[in-house]
Amino acid sequence: MSESYSVAPIWFTDVIGSGLMIVFSFLAVWYAVRLTRLQPSNVVWTYLLWLCCALAGFAVSRGVGHIAKRTLILVDLRDVWVSLRPYSGGINSVAFVIVASVTLFFRRVHRINSAILDDKHALEQASQEVLHLNRNLENLVRHRTDELSKSEKKYRRIFEGSMDMIFVLDPTGRFGEINPAGLGTLGYEREDLIGRTAFGDLFVSREGFRLFMEDLDGKGFVRDREFKLYTKRGDELHLLLSATARKTDAGEVERYEGIGKDITSRVQMERQLQRADRLASLGQISTGIAHEINNPLGIMLGYTQLLLRDHPPESEIHDDLKIIEKHARNCKTVVEDLLKFARSSPTRKGSVDVNQCLDEVVSLLAHQLELDNIVLKWDPDLTVPRVTADGEKLKQVFMNLLMNARQAITGKGTITLHTSSDVPNSMVHVTCSDTGSGIPYDAIDKIFDPFFTTKPVGEGTGLGLSVSYGIVAEHNGRIEVQSQVGLGSTFTVSLPAGAEKDQNP
Amino acid sequence: MQPKTISTAFALAISLAGPARAWAFQSHPAPEGLYVHQLAHVCFIAAMGILAYWLERNRLTEQRGWRFIQVSCVLFIAWNVFAFTGHWVEERVPDSSLIGEPDWTARLVIDGSPVVFAYYLLKLDHLVCVPAVVCLFLGIRALFVEANTREREPHE
Repeated sequence: MSESYSVAPIWFTDVIGSGLMIVFSFLAVWYAVRLTRLQPSNVVWTYLLWLCCALAGFAVSRGVGHIAKRTLILVDLRDVWVSLRPYSGGINSVAFVIVASVTLFFRRVHRINSAILDDKHALEQASQEVLHLNRNLENLVRHRTDELSKSEKKYRRIFEGSMDMIFVLDPTGRFGEINPAGLGTLGYEREDLIGRTAFGDLFVSREGFRLFMEDLDGKGFVRDREFKLYTKRGDELHLLLSATARKTDAGEVERYEGIGKDITSRVQMERQLQRADRLASLGQISTGIAHEINNPLGIMLGYTQLLLRDHPPESEIHDDLKIIEKHARNCKTVVEDLLKFARSSPTRKGSVDVNQCLDEVVSLLAHQLELDNIVLKWDPDLTVPRVTADGEKLKQVFMNLLMNARQAITGKGTITLHTSSDVPNSMVHVTCSDTGSGIPYDAIDKIFDPFFTTKPVGEGTGLGLSVSYGIVAEHNGRIEVQSQVGLGSTFTVSLPAGAEKDQNP
Repeated sequence: MQPKTISTAFALAISLAGPARAWAFQSHPAPEGLYVHQLAHVCFIAAMGILAYWLERNRLTEQRGWRFIQVSCVLFIAWNVFAFTGHWVEERVPDSSLIGEPDWTARLVIDGSPVVFAYYLLKLDHLVCVPAVVCLFLGIRALFVEANTREREPHE
């Protein structure tokens, strides 16, 4: 018996397998479609879609062919199948080739995708780095801004709170910035200075400003140089200036920055000390000379007076002796003044009302001042305490001051006299101001020197202020002067307040 | 006149002077279709082999989805071998081996012939190609699930 097998398994496997292939190949297409929709930029998924489509085509061509074959044979249409068979086989072969062709593109597609992914990754990384940098930059900028703000506040406080003048000038020398201390020192409002006033205009000496700028532009800096500047009121200031020129890379001046220290008080103090030293020396010399001259003068005057008794007034010798006596007395007056300046003359101190002394002096000079068209404003402070002093000598001081004031005024003018008390310091101040010609700056230091005078020869001995200085010094007081040429002078006599027991015998 | 032009004109003259047969196109008899089909199988095998190799080389098989696809490639290769051999064997099976009605009731007479037996077995090629397509489906689905999961993960 021949060995045979049923082809039913082949039939069923063929039909069911073909159906399953179609089903699963389309399911694969469906998931490939979802993949491409999920990540449209991924070309590998596009490749897979194409591959699945090709395989689905292959499955359909093959499966449909196989099912059609079995069906047509089963329904006895073998002829139809025979006519369709070449098409089925041909399509099937083409499907193979298409699947194979699509498959061969994998390498290129994968490379492209890898390159895209690498680029994408690089871009994302770069983006993250940029983001990180941006975030950090923001923090960094905020941090630096805070630091700058703190620094700005710190230096602003230093600038605003400095006791010395700090200023910035533009390249033309005009004020660009100045701190409150500077404004206070110069007496200007901010609006008057910034952008309007040239630094050079404040210098007393144009030559001084020229030297200042010469050093600044030449060396690039000026260190601790003393200059005199005018305040807005016209007062002279002594400033110790240090400045730096800030230049651009091209070497052009961008701005000048400077610091000025007001040393006016120190300079005045130094001058007073120098003046006091000088006057003390002159006083010693004067005392010596006065004593040496005083004795011979006394003898000369005594013998002259004895001789005058021996000669009748009508005689020629009597007249000559009178001339000798007169000049000897003049000399004696000068010598006495020198002794007063040198504080060597006897003093009788007692409790003195300064206002009363001044009343007496004013009453003596009022008429004369009126004749000279000079207005005298006498403004006593009735609360000033009494002082311990030699009343006569004080009157001499006040007389000298008023006479000097009168002589300083040419034509009409005003003399202001007033008293005041400085309770905390226990001082009494007497101020005598005039609207006269003022004292030249160079002469101020010498006005208290003996025999220094600006008056024509014969009109003054130059001992008035020296004697006044001596008398005030003898009373432990001080005499100060402020003057502006053309505007007038102010003399201030300061005396210790308080009445002591009368020293008169 | 150029030598090339002369030789062309000479060849044309010979052809027109002695037309023995028409050389217009070549005939394609019946076996050619089978050869083309077999060559298509060979192409399929090569393509699948290359794809499986590239997947391995690019380390894509570390992912579950691509691993399935690689298995699918191997199964398709196996199926193509089956099919290629099947077509070859089919040509050598005598018509007398199939008896009965040409439907599922027919029977295949083997009679100890290895060719007929191999034919019988190779005709069951769907047992290989269906798993191949299923693996392809599983692979693509796994890739989709993986990509979808990654997309849904919150970005850093």
